[in-house]
Amino acid sequence: MWQAIQSRETGRTPSNSFANQLKSRRISSLQLSNRKDFVSPHRGSVNSLQVDLTEGRYLLSGASDGSAAVFDTQRATDSEASGLIAKHKCVFSVDKGHEHGHRFAVSSAVWYPIDTGLFVTGSFDHLIKVWDTNTAQAVVDFKMPGKVYRTAMSSLAMSHTLIAAGTEDVQVRLCDIASGAFSHTLSGHRDGVMSVEWSTSSEWVLYTGGCDGAIRFWDIRRAGCFRVLDQSVTQLGVRPPILKHTAVNSKVSAEKSSSGGKNRLKTLQSKHTGSQNMKGSSSAKASVEKSRQKRLHPGMLSTLDRATAHYGVVTGLKATNDGMYLLSAGSDSRVRLWDTQSGCNTLLNFETGRLQTSKAIQMATSDDPALLFVPCMKTVKAFGMWSGRTTLMFRGHYESLNTCCFNSTDQELYTSGADRQILVWSPGGSVEGEMDQDEEVAEDKDNWSD
Amino acid sequence: MEGRDDGGGKVIGLIEKATKSSAQEVDPRLLKAIKLTLRYSDSEVRLGAKTLMELMKHNHSQVRLLTLLIIDELFMRSKLFRTLIVDKFDQLLSLSVGFRSSLPLPAPPAVATTLRTKAIEFLEKWNLSFGLHYKEIRLGFDYLKNTLKLKFPDLQATAARRQRERLEREERTKEILRSKFESLRDGFGVLKGEIEETIKEIKEGLEIVQWRGDDGVPLAILDEEDYEEIRCSHLRQIRMDSLKQSDKVEETSENRVVFDVLREQGKLLMKKHLVSVQEGISLLIRVDVSDNRTRDSMLKELIDIRNSILATEKKCEQAGFIISRMIDTGEKEEDEDDIWEEDDGKVGTDPVKKVAPLPRVQNGEGSSLQSSSEAKRSTLESSSNKASSTKTARRSGESGDPLRDKLISEAPVMNWGAQLSNWDSTTEVRANHRGLEVESHWGRVDQDAVIPADKIAELNLQATVYREERTEIPPCHAPLKKGGLCHRRDLRACPFHGPIVPRDDEGNPIINESSLEESQNQTSSSTTGISQEDDAPMDETTSDSDPNQLARQIAKQALKNIREKDREELRKIAKRAKHAKVKEHNFSVLRDAALASTSKSAVIDEEFDRVFAERKNKKQTFSLARRKKTTAKDRISERLSSNRAKGTKPKQLPQGNDDEKYRETSANHK
Repeated sequence: MWQAIQSRETGRTPSNSFANQLKSRRISSLQLSNRKDFVSPHRGSVNSLQVDLTEGRYLLSGASDGSAAVFDTQRATDSEASGLIAKHKCVFSVDKGHEHGHRFAVSSAVWYPIDTGLFVTGSFDHLIKVWDTNTAQAVVDFKMPGKVYRTAMSSLAMSHTLIAAGTEDVQVRLCDIASGAFSHTLSGHRDGVMSVEWSTSSEWVLYTGGCDGAIRFWDIRRAGCFRVLDQSVTQLGVRPPILKHTAVNSKVSAEKSSSGGKNRLKTLQSKHTGSQNMKGSSSAKASVEKSRQKRLHPGMLSTLDRATAHYGVVTGLKATNDGMYLLSAGSDSRVRLWDTQSGCNTLLNFETGRLQTSKAIQMATSDDPALLFVPCMKTVKAFGMWSGRTTLMFRGHYESLNTCCFNSTDQELYTSGADRQILVWSPGGSVEGEMDQDEEVAEDKDNWSD
Repeated sequence: MEGRDDGGGKVIGLIEKATKSSAQEVDPRLLKAIKLTLRYSDSEVRLGAKTLMELMKHNHSQVRLLTLLIIDELFMRSKLFRTLIVDKFDQLLSLSVGFRSSLPLPAPPAVATTLRTKAIEFLEKWNLSFGLHYKEIRLGFDYLKNTLKLKFPDLQATAARRQRERLEREERTKEILRSKFESLRDGFGVLKGEIEETIKEIKEGLEIVQWRGDDGVPLAILDEEDYEEIRCSHLRQIRMDSLKQSDKVEETSENRVVFDVLREQGKLLMKKHLVSVQEGISLLIRVDVSDNRTRDSMLKELIDIRNSILATEKKCEQAGFIISRMIDTGEKEEDEDDIWEEDDGKVGTDPVKKVAPLPRVQNGEGSSLQSSSEAKRSTLESSSNKASSTKTARRSGESGDPLRDKLISEAPVMNWGAQLSNWDSTTEVRANHRGLEVESHWGRVDQDAVIPADKIAELNLQATVYREERTEIPPCHAPLKKGGLCHRRDLRACPFHGPIVPRDDEGNPIINESSLEESQNQTSSSTTGISQEDDAPMDETTSDSDPNQLARQIAKQALKNIREKDREELRKIAKRAKHAKVKEHNFSVLRDAALASTSKSAVIDEEFDRVFAERKNKKQTFSLARRKKTTAKDRISERLSSNRAKGTKPKQLPQGNDDEKYRETSANHK
């Protein structure tokens, strides 16, 4: 530990990598925190958790009893057992008792990405509400045509303040906080939309996953969706080195002629597989796609439009922080990793076991080590992003989980689900932990009477 | 590596052996062995935890129960074991509590129930002791308690409640002690006075006895005088002995009265006063009051009193009475007789509330505490007249107060018993829990339960059983032919010898009126002429078999018959008068009834008078009216029945009663 600090001081290790080392060590030792308790004010299952994007300090939760609450993750409100356990009570909460409170379950609660002055809740009572955090009053509300499953705001939007809302309705609506009206209505899904995710690389790109099993990519500047992910369109490997090589060549024109790049990728891939049959079909497909895409980008009303990403409902979407990959979870108990550039299924197998099928789930990622946290029934599993192997298992909940949220500033994981608890998983064996390891509490010692 | 494997085999074997039993508990020796094995090796602990978790999955509740018991033992001891178990805590809980509907506890159900209760109990225990250090335990506990709403034994709360209850009990005990202290303080003077008086009386009584016992020479003086003269120690010793011997006074008819008094007083002193003083002392020792000085002074005084009582007792013993023995044996019969008589009066007077205040006042002045009627009595006596004999004292007391005598004569006789000691008392009594203290045997025992006075009175209510007075049925005693007397005992008549009459030793009847009345009523019908003067001696004398006897008998019978006749006549006259009276009464009643029943009563009042004056007329009119009434009623019923019967039966119903009609119609409908 001290050695690492010294080498950072002397410049032998870059400060960045030092931090990354520390973080990765901490992340890999995540365990149920005994020192930190969130006192949950919710009386229903917690459906949504999010740490604010500006400070990484305030945790927003929305629950089935129509309540939403904000917690301070860093400052405890009180403590128990002479400071051993820090109790975090909610800073405030809005529930049914509130004059503007939601009447039914809050399915989604997200922070306004710019600051913590606003947050957005979507509920089964068909309303999306924008709340002023400081006064705990609803300032804007949007009436949706059906139950709201998921709301999302773009973390890097500089030029718009749109809330993307997936509802029971087939259309995805974008609600503009600035005007208080719907700015877009995106139609294409054939069933309700369970999950919505903004791209982390472009502020105009929106991913939606529907109950029809399709994942659609939208560019909100244009009409219609520009891509429908097909689980059968695959690429082997996350991003093969050859791709990188070729991508360098076509880097200049990468954005504009993505189809060309993909085409090349396809051929490469088919080379890899070495299957003649596959080759022919994929190349033919690719050519068809290419021509069609050129021809009818707006609309994409064709057979391709019927492609599915999952058998069943797409329950969760998560874009990686670098914006290059999209992770999706479906009611077929699969988690798929998609290359956003090519729109291909990377065929990575995540050892998920069973996943929740009826409800939207919320996944979380960490950068370094690249881990994916997925709520798998009563546990949260951490998968290696590129291996798909289970690296960590978080057992502690007694009922199925809906959501998990990774706080990258503190390297803490927050999970919650139907048992109403919000559990904190924090790095164990931390520096301070090592320091007071010696003064172990007397009550928790070995006690052999004979 | 090998050593670890060996150890591993050992602990696994031990655990499996321990869980194979069908007992409700783990074999303590095996358990000890397991603990011993795990104590010195972390790898053993790891292996043990793994094995135990595997065993928990066994599809039999008995195995799970035993495994859980072992887990609990180790859980409470080893930290490593705890961390290992806690990692799979939800699994452990679901396997032991069986709260998941998909994973119910396996058979047999009885053991499964035990397993579940045990698991819940352990969870609570673990949560209490280690919950702070293991979030998992807290979570599991919280989930089972708040989400699944399982019922926990709630050890902590129970303990807290017990503590609270104990405090409350102590508080209440203190309160009771304090109130007792108050009452003691209030009645302290009286008690002291009484005791002193009693002691004084005993002393006086002793003096009297000793005086008399030594032929009028006071012992003390004698002792004093002789003391100087007798130098020799040996002689003095003899002298002292003899003196002492002479102290022991013989009870004679002369000093008997004094002895009685002494005995009474001694009994009172030992039985009541000493006890109450000792109670007072223990109370003062236990009580916690602010007024310490009073308490201390009271305590001192009580101790002094006790000492003086003991000294008195000693003195008595020296004088030859042993009070305690006196209490035990003594001349009980005689004493008790007295007590009984006295008691009857007391007991009778007290409960009956109609009793005038006088006897109660008497009781009151007798003794304030009224601990026993015996005490009452003796104090009463002592206050009335201590020198004279008890009996005379009582007699005089009785005769002196006619009201009291009257009350005593009509008061019910009560049995002697403990209830007499707290007669009419209004103090609460603490409940007796003896035999109920066994933990959870008969439920919780409230140590401070008090029984209110009215309840005590109710409980002391005495039931008396009526006991028939046994009467000796006299034997027939008729002389038998074969000699001897008939020994049959019949109430009125012997089947062989006729009515039972008093007979003398040889079997001859002793004739008196009652026996003759029945037997010879018919035979001697009407013989007169014997004067009344003869009657008187005949009753008295027990008749022998002299010839005069028959004549006398006959004469007597005749006289009786005459008297009987007269009586008969008188009776007839009386009967007639009575008849007349009854008639008159009937008449008036009937008239009243008639008046009440008629609406036009005012108008026809006189007419009715007239009508009722003559019997015949009255009867006729009455019957007429009755007939009229019935016909009116019948008309309606007839019409009704004819209507009813029309459709079914053409039979014309006579004016029978309604029941018949109904029966018929109903039969038709059937």
